[in-house]
Amino acid sequence: MMNRDINGEGRKFNRGEEEEEEDEDEESGRGRDAWERTYADERSWESLQEDESGLLRPIDNKALHHAQYRRRLRTATTAGIQKGLIRYLYIVIDLSRAAGEMDYKPSRMVVVARQVEAFIREFFDQNPLSQIGLVTLKDGVAQCLTDLGGSPESHIKALMGKLECSGDSSLQNGLDLVHDLLNQIPSYGHREVLILYSALSTCDPGDIMETIQKCKSAKIRCSIIGLSAELYICKYLCQETGGLYSVALDEPHLKELVLEHAPPPPAIAEFAIANLIKMGFPQRAAEGVISICSCHKEAKFGGGYTCPRCKARVCELPTECRICGLTLVSSPHLARSYHHLFPITPFDDVSPSITNIPHKLPKSCFGCQQSLLNPGNLPGPWVACPKCKQHFCLDCDIYIHESLHNCPGCESFKQSNSVTNMEV
Amino acid sequence: MKFQIEDVTVYFPYDNIYPEQYAYMVELKRALDAKGHCLLEMPTGTGKTIALLSLITSYALSKPSNPIKFIYCTRTVHEMEKTLSELKLLHNYQLQHLGPAAKILALGLSSRKNLCINPTVVSAENRDSVDAACRKLTASWVRELAAENPRIPTCSFFENYEKSASEAILPPGVYTLQDLRAYGKLKGWCPYFLARHMVQLANVVVYSYQYLLDPKVAGIISKEMQRESVVVFDEAHNIDNVCIEALSVSVRMQTLEGATRNINRMSQEIDRFKATDAGRLRAEYNRLVEGLALRGDLPASDAWLANPALPNDILKEAVPGNIRRAEHFLSVLRRLVQYIRGRLQTENVEKEGPVAFVASVNTQAGIDQKMLRFCYDRLHSLMLTLEISDTDEFLHIQTICDFATLVGTYTRGFSIIIEPFDERMPHIPDPVLQLCCHDASLAIKPVFERFQSVVITSGTLSPIDLYPRLLNFNPVVSRSFTMSLTRDCICPMVLTRGSDQLPVSTKYDLRSDPGVEKNYGKLLLEMVSVVPDGIVCFFVSYSYMDGIVNSWHETGLLKEIMQHKLVFIETQDVVETTLALDNYRKACDCGRGAVFFSVARGKVAEGIDFDRHYGRLVIMFGVPFQYTLSRILLARLEYLRDTFQIKEGDFLTFDALRQAAQCVGRVIRSKADYGMMIFADKRYSRHDKRSKLPGWILSHLRDAHLNLSTDMAAHIAREGIKEEGSQMIIKVAVLDLSIACDST
Repeated sequence: MMNRDINGEGRKFNRGEEEEEEDEDEESGRGRDAWERTYADERSWESLQEDESGLLRPIDNKALHHAQYRRRLRTATTAGIQKGLIRYLYIVIDLSRAAGEMDYKPSRMVVVARQVEAFIREFFDQNPLSQIGLVTLKDGVAQCLTDLGGSPESHIKALMGKLECSGDSSLQNGLDLVHDLLNQIPSYGHREVLILYSALSTCDPGDIMETIQKCKSAKIRCSIIGLSAELYICKYLCQETGGLYSVALDEPHLKELVLEHAPPPPAIAEFAIANLIKMGFPQRAAEGVISICSCHKEAKFGGGYTCPRCKARVCELPTECRICGLTLVSSPHLARSYHHLFPITPFDDVSPSITNIPHKLPKSCFGCQQSLLNPGNLPGPWVACPKCKQHFCLDCDIYIHESLHNCPGCESFKQSNSVTNMEV
Repeated sequence: MKFQIEDVTVYFPYDNIYPEQYAYMVELKRALDAKGHCLLEMPTGTGKTIALLSLITSYALSKPSNPIKFIYCTRTVHEMEKTLSELKLLHNYQLQHLGPAAKILALGLSSRKNLCINPTVVSAENRDSVDAACRKLTASWVRELAAENPRIPTCSFFENYEKSASEAILPPGVYTLQDLRAYGKLKGWCPYFLARHMVQLANVVVYSYQYLLDPKVAGIISKEMQRESVVVFDEAHNIDNVCIEALSVSVRMQTLEGATRNINRMSQEIDRFKATDAGRLRAEYNRLVEGLALRGDLPASDAWLANPALPNDILKEAVPGNIRRAEHFLSVLRRLVQYIRGRLQTENVEKEGPVAFVASVNTQAGIDQKMLRFCYDRLHSLMLTLEISDTDEFLHIQTICDFATLVGTYTRGFSIIIEPFDERMPHIPDPVLQLCCHDASLAIKPVFERFQSVVITSGTLSPIDLYPRLLNFNPVVSRSFTMSLTRDCICPMVLTRGSDQLPVSTKYDLRSDPGVEKNYGKLLLEMVSVVPDGIVCFFVSYSYMDGIVNSWHETGLLKEIMQHKLVFIETQDVVETTLALDNYRKACDCGRGAVFFSVARGKVAEGIDFDRHYGRLVIMFGVPFQYTLSRILLARLEYLRDTFQIKEGDFLTFDALRQAAQCVGRVIRSKADYGMMIFADKRYSRHDKRSKLPGWILSHLRDAHLNLSTDMAAHIAREGIKEEGSQMIIKVAVLDLSIACDST
C-alpha cells in the first residue's frame, strides 16, 4: 500500500514536471502531451527489476495486489447485514454538451457507454433477480431509453444506438423521471439510481431541493459518479439519499468506481422488515414449439419459458409475467444472489513467524494443490481460513471470495462429519 | 485534550491539535510572560481563534492570584458571535476538568441595535436612530418627568434594571449576544445596560474594535479596564486603516447645513430654558468654571484610558471663559460653521496642516486653539443640560465639534484637504473638507500604553516587519506560521499572459487595452467551463469592473460565460449586494453554478467568506493598488516617508498585496476545504510583489505556476480540481498530527 501511495505521489510530481517542460517548448503543442502522458503516467520502466542473472523482469506485484484486494474485502464483507437483493436500478447517463469533451479518449460519452456496458453485464451476473433501466439526460430533458428489464443485451443495444450529445443536462428532470418510474415498482424492491454525470452544472426548471426530498421520502438511493469535478449538489443528493458520490480521475478509476455499485448495497432500515414474495419458477418450453410470446407480442419459435400460473410464454428470465404479474425466476438466479447474504469470512494472513514451524504446515494449497513455497523453497505469503484452518494460496483466496463463494475446506469438512447446514 | 506549555496547563477542547496551533500558543505564552505586545500571523482555517482563547483563558486560570482580563476585539458582530460560541465550548470543557474553579464571566458587547429587546425601539432602521429612541425612553430627565406623569412612555426593561440596582448582575458563564437578549427577556432587564455594567467585572469581553480605538466610544466603555489585561485584535490586517478612520473627519455641505439647523434648534432651547429654568444654565456654568476634571463623569485619576482626542492636560484645565456660557458657545460654533462654509467655496484643491488651519481660524473667525479643543466636551455638556434626547438629529454638529477638537489638539500627523469636486466627476461640484489622520499610531497608542499585552493577529500580516513601524510599537514576539497540510488544498497560480501570449495587467497604460480586456474575459470563460459551483472574481475598482464588464458584454463574452454559470455583481449599494450574494449562494447550492464579480477593498472582500463550494476558484484581476492620485493617500505617503522612513512604493505594494491576499484568502476557511487562486497580472511574477504575499500562499506557489498563460492555467485547474474533488470525497476528515501530551 505504501508503495502505491508513493506511486501516486510520483504521478503527481511527474505532472508538475511535465507542465514545466511544456513551458519551455510550447510550439510542440499540446497534441504530443496526450500520448506522452499515457507512458509517463504508467511509468512502465519502474515496474521492472533486474534479477540475479541480470535479466529484466516485472516486479512481483502479486502480494501487493493481494493486500489491496484483502483490504477491500474487509471493508466490504460485513456478514449478517441485510442486503437488498432485488434491486431496481436506473442508470442515468448524462449526454449533455459536456459529455462530448475529449479529456477521456475518445470522448466522455463513449467511455461512459463502455463502462456502463461492462457494468450491466457484471450487475446481472451478481444480481440475477434485479432489473435495470436506462435514462439519458440531454437538451435539458430526461428521456427513458429502456424500461426496467432483466436482459443485458437489450439495454446495451439501446444505449449504443443513442450515443450523441447536445444541450444542457438537468439533474432535476432526471430525478423526477426516475422517481415516477420507480414509484410503480413493488415495495420489496430496492430503488436505486446511478447517475454518470459529465456536466459541471445542472439547469433545472424548478427547485431541485424539493425533488431531492421527494426522492429521499420515496427511499430512492441515488449514487453519482462525476466525470469532471466535485459538485456540491451531487454531494448533497448522495448524502441525503444514502448513496455514494465519487469523482473519476481517469478511465481505469472510472471503471473501478462503476463496478463498486455492482454488489448489492446494505438494505435501508425501513425495508428491512422481512416479507415473503411470491415467485414462479417457469419451465423451459419444448424446442420446436411455436407460440406467441407475451413480451414481444409476436410468434416465436422454440426456446422461451412458460409461466407456471397463467401459462403465458416469456422469452427471458428473470422477469415479471405480463399477464398475471408473477415474478418469474430460475433457481440458479436465487442461488447466485444468495451468497451476498452469507459472505465467506475473510481469510487470515499467515504471518512468517508461524511459518517458521515447518512440521505442522502443509506444503501445498488446499484449493489448487500447488506448492505454497516460492521457488528456492522459501515460504511465500499465503492465507488460512479461520474456520477450517486450511491453507490457501493467494490466487485461490481471490477465486474463493469473488467467484466460488464457498470455502472448499469448510465444505469438505462438513461432508466428512456429516454435519449439514451448519453455517447457512 | 490537556497539555503543558512550560508552567501553564492548557485546556484545549478538541482531541487533536495542529502543530501550528501548538507553536502559536507557545509564542503567545512567551509574549504574555514578558508582558509585552506581539504580532502573530497564521492562515485562516487553522483554528487561530480557539488557540488564542484556550491559551489565554488557561493562562489566566493558572495564575489565580493575579487575574488577567481578556479583551477580544473583532471586526463584525458575526465574528463576535462565532468567537463567543467557541469560547462557550472551551468553557464547558474547562468546567468538566476543573469544576467550578474554572468559572468565568464572558460576554459580548455591541450597540443597542444588536442588544435591545424593547420592540418599539429596536424596530428603528439604523444604529443611530435606535440609540436615539433608547435615549428618549431612558434619559434621566425623561424618567423624572415620567415619574410625575405616567403617560410619558419609558422602557420597562430599563426601569426594571434600574430598580434591581446592585442585584442586576449576570451569573458566571459565557453569554453571546443572543444569550444576553434571552437573559434580559427572562429577567426583564435591559441587556444593553446590563452588559455595559458587567463589562467592568467580566473576565472575558468580546467587542468591536471601535470600543478601544475610537476615542469617543473608548472614553465611555473602556476607560475602566484594568491594566492587567490582554487585548487581542483579531483579523487585524487592516488595523492601521481602522485607527486612521477613527481620527478622520470629513465635512460636506450637507453637514454644515445640518449643523446650522442644530445650532438654531439649540438656541431656541436655550431661550426656552432661560424663560423657564434659568437656574439650570447657571449651574452648568458653575460646573464648567470648576473645570472638566472635577465634573462627576470625568474622573481625573490616571487610571482611565487616556483619550487621544483629549490629552490629559486638558482635563486639568478649566473650560475657557468665552465658551462657558451657552449662548457664547453657540455663537462660536456659528462662526466656525460659517468659516468652514467659506472655505468650502473654493475652486481649487487646498491642502494645509492643522497649525496653519488653526491660525487662519483664529484670524478670520476669532476662535483660538484652546476653544477648538474644548468644543467636543462643551457640546456634550450643553446637550445634557438642554436635555436633548434625539441625538441622531444632532450628528452634524457633533461631526463639526469632533473636527474642531481634533484640529485643535494635534499639530502633527494630520492634514486638511479641501476638494471642490470629486476627481472622477469634475463637473459636479461636491465640495468636501477632510481632516485626514496619517498616523495610525495616534489612535492605538493609548491601548499599547495602557494594557499589559496587546496581541495583533490575522491570516495576512505580511510583511510582518511593517506593522510595528506603522503602529509605532515594539513587539516582543512577531512570527508568521504556515499551515501544515497533508495535501495541497490550495493551488495558487500566477497568470501573466493571455492565450495569445500577450501580457495581461491592470497597469494604467494597459488597463483599457481591448486586448487585455479580451484576454481577461477569455480567462474567465475558460475557467467557468472547468471549475464547478462557485467562482469569485475580484477587480481593482468599481469603475474598472464596470468598464470591463461592459466591454465583455459588447463582445458577447459575457453571454458565453452565462451559458456556463450565472453572473452576480457587487455594487456600492449594500442591499443590492446582499441580494446578489444570497442568490449567488443559492445558485451554488442548487448546482447551477455562479460567478461573483466583486471589488478588492469592497465590503465583500473584507467580510464575506466564500468557503467550500461557494468558492472553488478565486481570480484576482490585477493588483489592487490604491487610487494613487488621491490627495489623502499622497499626503499619508509623504507623512510615512518623513516620519517612519517607509518608502512610498513599499507602502503601496504592501497595501495592494495585503488586499490581494485577503481577497484570495476568502476561499479557504478550513483545512478540509480546497480552492484555487489565480493572480492574473504580469506584475505578480516579479519578486518584489510576490514576496510580500503571506507565507502560507507562497509555500504552495510552485515555480512552474509562476508564469502561466490562459490555456495552461485552465489545464492545471481542470486537473487540480478533479484530483482534489476526488480525494476530498474519500477522506473528508483530514487526519492531523496530534501532539500526544496527556500530562497530569
